[in-house]
Amino acid sequence: MEKVIEVEGLIKTFGETRALDGLDLTVEPGQVHGFLGPNGSGKSTTIRILLGLIRSSGGSARLFGEDPWKNAVALHRRLAYVPGDVNLWPNLTGGETIDMLGSLRGGLDPKRRQELVDRFELDLTKKAQAYSKGNRQKVALIAALATDAELFIFDEPTSGLDPLKEAVFQECVKEITGRGHTILLSSHILGQLEHLANTFTIIRNGKTVETGTLGHLRKLAASAGRDPDSMSLEDLFLSVYAN
Amino acid sequence: MTGFAGTGEAIRFALKRDRLILPLCLAGLIGWMAVYVVSYSGLYATQAELNALYKSVAGNPALIAMTGPTGGLRTLGGATAWESLPVVSILSGVFAMFSVIRHSRAEEEDGRTELLLASGSGRFAPLAAALIVTSAALMLAAVGNVAVLAIADYEVGPSILLSLAILGFGLVITGTTAVFAQVTGKARAARGLVGIVIGISWLLRAIGDTGDGTLTWLSPLGWAQQTKPFWEDHWWPLLMLLAATAITISFAFRLLARRDIGSGLIQPRPGPARASPSILHPLGFSFRLQRGSIVGWTAMLFIYGFAVGAVGDNIESLLESSPTFTEAFASASGDLIDSYFASILTVIAVMGAGFTIAAVLRPHSEESRGRADLLLTAPLGKVRWVSGHVLIAYIASAAMIGLTGLGLGIGLGVATGDYGEVGKLFASGFAQVPAMWLTGSLALLLFGISSRLAPVAWGLLATFILIWTLASFGDIPQWIIDLSPFSHTPAVPAVSLDLTPLLVMTAISAVVTFAGLVLWRRRDLL
Ligand SMILES: Nc1ncnc2c1ncn2[C@@H]1O[C@H](COP(=O)(O)OP(=O)(O)OP(=O)(O)O)[C@@H](O)[C@H]1O
Ligand SMILES: [Mg+2]
Repeated sequence: MEKVIEVEGLIKTFGETRALDGLDLTVEPGQVHGFLGPNGSGKSTTIRILLGLIRSSGGSARLFGEDPWKNAVALHRRLAYVPGDVNLWPNLTGGETIDMLGSLRGGLDPKRRQELVDRFELDLTKKAQAYSKGNRQKVALIAALATDAELFIFDEPTSGLDPLKEAVFQECVKEITGRGHTILLSSHILGQLEHLANTFTIIRNGKTVETGTLGHLRKLAASAGRDPDSMSLEDLFLSVYAN
Repeated sequence: MTGFAGTGEAIRFALKRDRLILPLCLAGLIGWMAVYVVSYSGLYATQAELNALYKSVAGNPALIAMTGPTGGLRTLGGATAWESLPVVSILSGVFAMFSVIRHSRAEEEDGRTELLLASGSGRFAPLAAALIVTSAALMLAAVGNVAVLAIADYEVGPSILLSLAILGFGLVITGTTAVFAQVTGKARAARGLVGIVIGISWLLRAIGDTGDGTLTWLSPLGWAQQTKPFWEDHWWPLLMLLAATAITISFAFRLLARRDIGSGLIQPRPGPARASPSILHPLGFSFRLQRGSIVGWTAMLFIYGFAVGAVGDNIESLLESSPTFTEAFASASGDLIDSYFASILTVIAVMGAGFTIAAVLRPHSEESRGRADLLLTAPLGKVRWVSGHVLIAYIASAAMIGLTGLGLGIGLGVATGDYGEVGKLFASGFAQVPAMWLTGSLALLLFGISSRLAPVAWGLLATFILIWTLASFGDIPQWIIDLSPFSHTPAVPAVSLDLTPLLVMTAISAVVTFAGLVLWRRRDLL
């Protein structure tokens, strides 16, 4: 089956800085793929290349088999994105923003929109300048989750959400996988990732360090002489960094 | 006084952030004065030349309206002060507006002030730092101006008065900006309001100076000009400037003490939970973002046109009573008043190009504030998004300058009861459109090359204003004058319309716009 995301040897330089240095990432249809790495390791940069916002300096990146830089508009019809730091138009209300973003994709299903608004408990009549960080995040989440995209790209989507809304987000992720759709989820909340994702890619300094299922990662840890079964994703993550 | 704790830190931070831009602005303000000093000392080296200048200019109501009272033109100092005082004052005011907002309201809007306050700074520290940095820069500029004048052998006392008058206007705008930065929660809105204050200051004194003078005393720019350096040397209007500065600044702090951090005094009211269909389309949404500034600018320019048109009648009769002016203005052929209107339309077009640049660069501010990502990760093409904003900018610029012409015509009609000129003036406004488009397209080109280059467009506009100012001296090389698109616009309605330069400029702006879009498509988002 066609891979949803296929990144090989991806390189991105910003002047002197080498943000990506031969990164690999493969996401199969239906996966919830956890994408993790320390601050500044290149997660957001990879995602921005996949979204066609910036151009790679080398290597290859494919989304649904196509070049995200050249076919951005066509590919964007098939995906939805939520950044970790949502900036909104200060004069628009949350409701207006959701509708406007939805209209770019031909409109949202009003029932689905209302249902998400109720679950996330968002006051749609507030102007964006009056929203808290978590509420701004909810606006982008609702706008994305109300679509019927085949691929969802989340870059720390729940930063600022309270634990109850975090749980709502986790339910939504399960509904997406229930529909057979794919998710790339970058996050620092390892508990969340462990719970939601079925495969992982761990990167460091713009390079892929490990990739595979949790079981596979545990096996690697075992070969390094540790007791694999007792290890959480957090322990694995820390042990990968330690080497 | 704990409210001011951390002011020193904040000043250091602001200076570090501005280490490049601040020296540039200072050089600009002092350099502008130097340009006047060099041009005037070169042009009017002898008393005979000054007398000739006085004879041809003094009392000319059109020039009084544009620049200021002409009584001092018999001396070199008076002539220099006549033109430099209002222009450098307004530039200082614009600098003060940008600087105060940049370090107070804009910081707060981006959420950085909160961090600062959380780490132990007093709530007054950011505003205090913004005011101190801005006023210190203005004072340095004043010292620089005195030095420039002294080097060129101008009398010291009046040179100081001239520099202080300019400083005074800058300080009043500093205080005014501080007030508006408390009232509204948004930097863009605050800048818009201060811009209107500067515009009204100019307009009030223009009407006052050509009439009985009452309105002049309602304008801080009027106060600055009433110091009449090198001529009557009044020092006491400086006190009015100082008082206005003190009042506005203390008022700003009083407002700051009462409001919440992160918002303005005017709290945003709740709005609709559903979007109106008008923004459910990329172009409609872009228009919505630009609507406020389009309406503001259009209203301001129309009113301005109307006011100038309404006093146009007086000016005509005054002009006709003086054979010197009849000669001077008639050399351009046609009606006297038409030459006056043509020069007014040029001034407004150059100012209006400020709108064109801001509107074309709207995607730039969306990009730097991180809002472009949400739009451009939806199925909305990069080029389609930016060209929508450019289209809006170009159409609104044309409508705006056309309406200014209409305002002139209606104002004149109200004053004279004869509305026969309305159509002609309306059409004359449109002659300025290609130069505005060309300026806008250059801004787009810079934005297309890189996000960081986009603000250079403002430097370009400053250059065009400088060229336009210098062109009135008449002895700078033609190739420099030709660099500004506004030099190529025929001075309608004073001369007959020559379409060639207009078509050429339109074609060039189309090509440059296209190049800007291509470059934008090829570059990374910030
Ligand atoms: N526009 C840019 N210009 C220069 N350097 C950049 C730019 N964008 C990213 N970088 C650099 O690239 C590297 C990778 O950054 P990136 O944002 O991809 O990291 P990240 O893994 O998402 O980190 P975090 O977990 O903190 O979000 C960092 O060193 C960053 O400083
Ligand atoms: Mg990141």
